[in-house]
Amino acid sequence: MSGLRIDKDLCIGCGNCANACLQEALTVDSYAEVDSAKCILCGMCVDMCPVSAISIEKEESGIDKSAYGGVWVCAEYLEGSLHPCALELTGKARELAAQLETEATAVVLGDESADACASQLSYAGADKVLLVTGERFAQPVEEVWAAALAELVRARKPEILLFGATEFGRSLAPRVAAMLETGLTADCTLLEIDPETKLLRQTRPAFGGNLMATIVCPDRRPQMATCRPGVLPMPELDETRQVTAERVSPDVPAAQKALLGMVRQAAAGKSITEAKVLVTAGRGVGDKKNVALVRRLAELLGGDYAVSRPLVDMGWAEYPHQVGQTGVTVAPDLLITCGVSGAIQHLAGITGAKTVIAVNTDPEAPIFARADYAVVGDCVQVLKALIQELENGTTK
Amino acid sequence: MKQTPSGFRPMGEEYAAYLRDESRTTGHAETISFPTTEQEIVEAVNACRESGSRLTVQGGRTGLAAAAVPFGGHILNLSRMDKVLGMGQTADGFTLTVQPGAVLSELRKKLAAKKFDVTGWSDASKDALGAFMKSGVWFFPPDPTEASATIGGMTACNASGARTHGYGPTRGYVTALRVVLPSGETLALRRGQVFAAGRHLTLTTEQGTTLELHLPTFTMPKTKNASGYYIEDNMDAIDLFIGSDGTLGVFSQMELRLLPMAPQVWGVTCFLPTVDDALTFTSLVRGMKLGEVSMEYFDGNALDILRRQKAEKTAFAALPTIPETAGAAIYVELHCQTEQEAAEKLFAVGDALEQAGGDREVTWVARTESDLDKLMFFRHAVPESVNMMIDERKKTAPSITKLGSDMAVPDDKLFDVMALYRRTLKEEDLESATWGHIGENHVHVNVLPRNEADYARGKALFVRWAEAVTEMGGAVSAEHGVGKLKASFLTVMYGQAHIDEMAALKYTLDPQGLLGAGNLFAAREGGRS
Amino acid sequence: MNCIVCIKQVPSTNEVNLDPITKTIIRDGRQSVTNPYDTFALETAVQLKERCGGTVSVLSMGIPATERLLRDAVSRGADRGLLLTDRAFAGADTLATSYTLSLGVRRLGDFDLILCGKMAIDGDTAQIGPELAAHLGIPHVTDVLAITEVGDASVTVETAWQGGVRQVKVALPALLTVQKDVNQPRMPSIAGVKRGLEAPVEVLGAEAVQADAKRIGLTGSPTQVVRTEAPQRDSTAVYIEGDASQQAHKLAELIAGLTEGARA
Repeated sequence: MSGLRIDKDLCIGCGNCANACLQEALTVDSYAEVDSAKCILCGMCVDMCPVSAISIEKEESGIDKSAYGGVWVCAEYLEGSLHPCALELTGKARELAAQLETEATAVVLGDESADACASQLSYAGADKVLLVTGERFAQPVEEVWAAALAELVRARKPEILLFGATEFGRSLAPRVAAMLETGLTADCTLLEIDPETKLLRQTRPAFGGNLMATIVCPDRRPQMATCRPGVLPMPELDETRQVTAERVSPDVPAAQKALLGMVRQAAAGKSITEAKVLVTAGRGVGDKKNVALVRRLAELLGGDYAVSRPLVDMGWAEYPHQVGQTGVTVAPDLLITCGVSGAIQHLAGITGAKTVIAVNTDPEAPIFARADYAVVGDCVQVLKALIQELENGTTK
Repeated sequence: MKQTPSGFRPMGEEYAAYLRDESRTTGHAETISFPTTEQEIVEAVNACRESGSRLTVQGGRTGLAAAAVPFGGHILNLSRMDKVLGMGQTADGFTLTVQPGAVLSELRKKLAAKKFDVTGWSDASKDALGAFMKSGVWFFPPDPTEASATIGGMTACNASGARTHGYGPTRGYVTALRVVLPSGETLALRRGQVFAAGRHLTLTTEQGTTLELHLPTFTMPKTKNASGYYIEDNMDAIDLFIGSDGTLGVFSQMELRLLPMAPQVWGVTCFLPTVDDALTFTSLVRGMKLGEVSMEYFDGNALDILRRQKAEKTAFAALPTIPETAGAAIYVELHCQTEQEAAEKLFAVGDALEQAGGDREVTWVARTESDLDKLMFFRHAVPESVNMMIDERKKTAPSITKLGSDMAVPDDKLFDVMALYRRTLKEEDLESATWGHIGENHVHVNVLPRNEADYARGKALFVRWAEAVTEMGGAVSAEHGVGKLKASFLTVMYGQAHIDEMAALKYTLDPQGLLGAGNLFAAREGGRS
Repeated sequence: MNCIVCIKQVPSTNEVNLDPITKTIIRDGRQSVTNPYDTFALETAVQLKERCGGTVSVLSMGIPATERLLRDAVSRGADRGLLLTDRAFAGADTLATSYTLSLGVRRLGDFDLILCGKMAIDGDTAQIGPELAAHLGIPHVTDVLAITEVGDASVTVETAWQGGVRQVKVALPALLTVQKDVNQPRMPSIAGVKRGLEAPVEVLGAEAVQADAKRIGLTGSPTQVVRTEAPQRDSTAVYIEGDASQQAHKLAELIAGLTEGARA
């Protein structure tokens, strides 16, 4: 039976585990003891134990992993265009495949126009492109696409399957994972191969962004993860690479839904993902009215503005302007952050920014670790002075 | 004459905000300082005394009676003395020692997160904190509406809030106080140590001076009260200073008593067809002895204001929809040890509601933090909306302000006083909205003047109410304090002879009348303004 | 229209404080609450019941104390609850949790719609809804903002899609995940609280729902957390010193240089 094990010879009775346990399942007298009726095996105590006295034992229910090989990417092709994250993921798949000495494969679903993606995906690093295209796949319908992917995976047995954590990817990937009875890690910011076990180490922010959790899927295949657009670097496209495409035609059920079209289009104006210069506001701006200063600076620099999650939660800005793990991922050339402290989930949304200037009062704010230029000070004062400077045109 | 301390800064545009408080009254001053230690307070007090300059103490400037608004001279702003200095463990709980500028909302956060900056704490304090970390949730009960109030300010006006119905005002939670007297000497008072003999109180300063104080001879009303000094036979010395409105000394440090938070905090907003039904409901609930910690009332006008706000302003869109049939509402909060106890008491409130003409189905029960927050947002939206309305009207009638009453009467006079308010408001044709602490027969009638004439009639009406409330055995200021705005009501309540006794007590400690000039009493000549 | 709403118990805040020196977690006096996203799903279901009739059942997998939240859901308009609780469910990841919930759904019987919150604030994975739909072999729609039309065999919903709003018509039975802030979840009434305390809430373990021991709890969870750590923070940033106006001046120069470079 699975459960929490405490090695009494190692335990020093420090109490860190009991402090960490949200279920209050641990008590520490001379050594730690667990009330297994309360324990939910969350593993928090395991990480907090300074002497590695706690472990979670698990029954193995393995499959024949040797039958699985290859790194697959589900390349998102919607409404006539390939999502940029498909190329990012393919670049990553290429890198992972090299370490595993296997092939990188991109799978494209869509109508026939999607066939044209094969060359781009190959240039980005795919050794092979599987085309699941045609009338049946013209619409992004989860139950249809998931069935197609599940059938292909069962037949060809890739060891890794990656999705973009787009709106559609976050809806599709879990459906595929459940059909295949395998694990899925959402919103990874880091994917790497463990040099010893050859397992895919999937790292994502956890607990409100205060911690990073690294997750593996040791006994089921494929190992599945979604990854935010813009988090992985865009690979150089190598047009000398050979294009190998294969058309496949899995059996799928009929769609059980009809996509009736848009009743309201996205608000006019460019999405913040396209901005070359982006100015972001965080909780440190202090007041709703100061968001206007951020907007003004963005306007002066010919860019756009964005905010961190608390500001959207407080109603200071609209969701389409939210940057971070649960918002939009951005990759501007210049990012100026004002009063953003930089929780990991926010940082996950700005990984792709080229130059970051951070303004914050707290010199310890994690945003400064990501910044190229750090301004320790009241962002409202700095904003006001900077706007005045730019409006007067004193600096050219 | 001594040199002005280096911390004194001339008043300039950058300090304009320090001339005002939440009462929206503006005063004037020549200098301001922001002391960070008791020694700096002593130096400032000495400098003012020696130069004959008036001295007004400020905390968070959230008061509604203008006690922190300067009438000339120096402003001693204590907002930079905001540290928690230590923690103590007592037989039945914990105490916190804080500086007077500590802000209530910050203190609450620290208590909730159990996170304190322990720099400079004694070992005993750290030990107490260790025990505190392991012992459940503790809180400081006083809950004035404006959580940016400072502990010093709350002590100076003996602040109350919604939960005062169950927990009493700030007074009961201040267990020790350090006071810098106008003489520059210091007092260390601890509850339970120094008492008056009848109406005579002998105090000894830390410097060894003995002070003989004759306490006034009036009898305080047996209601919630923040009108003038707290005086009774054989009283504890500390109680004289709590609620003294910044007129007897400057607080430099206080020790606060914490209470364990009840495991079950339930709130329920009940709707009633009419104001009379709401009063019946109030007496029924009070009769049940449920130990409810608050009973907060909203009349139909207040509900109408919220209905309009919800419809018109996005900031208020999150307000729950008020039932159409509601002509009044009462919020009841229960703090209980078990869920079963809370449920039984809630159902008892439901019985009272049906009996008074309400409907159990048309109620809002909050048992989670987020629902309690929603109900608090609802309660706080009323005064906020009224302030917005008045700001709007000020554009056409600049001299008007909101007129808010703060009077309390004994339980058996609740129906009488509410009838009086309604009858006279109607006679004078004044627009109003009424809300507040009906559990203590203490509602805030807010006259909303449409023009200068309304404003004048409203002011006159308040004086009549002060007379009637005094007649009923009530208090003219139950929680806001008298400050500068209600000094005339205090005379109505106690009569000139007793006011003179209070003034004599003050001038024993502050012969030049420099400290908090204008608070409680009309400012006396002599102090250089 | 019979609805099942899945709810999860979560800590009232997803913030975890770390002791800056020891890096250990500082636990504060937190309350366990219904995942806020799920409260919008419940309100959607209750409004649907008021509109079209039918029943609302609430379903959760969790520790025994979760029963309190199911009763709370009844006080807010649901009719009954089912709690799946068992030591054998402990340590479940999204796959094992969604499998377990699928057993609960089967136990609850006929339904037209399953409503879930978009995600849980303590995990942010947004996987339970689609995985549960897959286990049940029914279609799912994520990010639902409103249910606009209710037919006998289908519902039409509006969903958030690429910054705009899209209409989707889905065959019943189906699973919907609901966005936050799409409605104002009601507070219970005194009468509702009474109904909640008296409501039928079934509490069942693994055997009672005939769970496959290999598919539940830790054993049934393919993923494993191998490491949780505070992120590395080593700054290489260039610090811009001075008072606000000096900093602003230097920034203006810097920005001019950077945007110049971009143009070149």
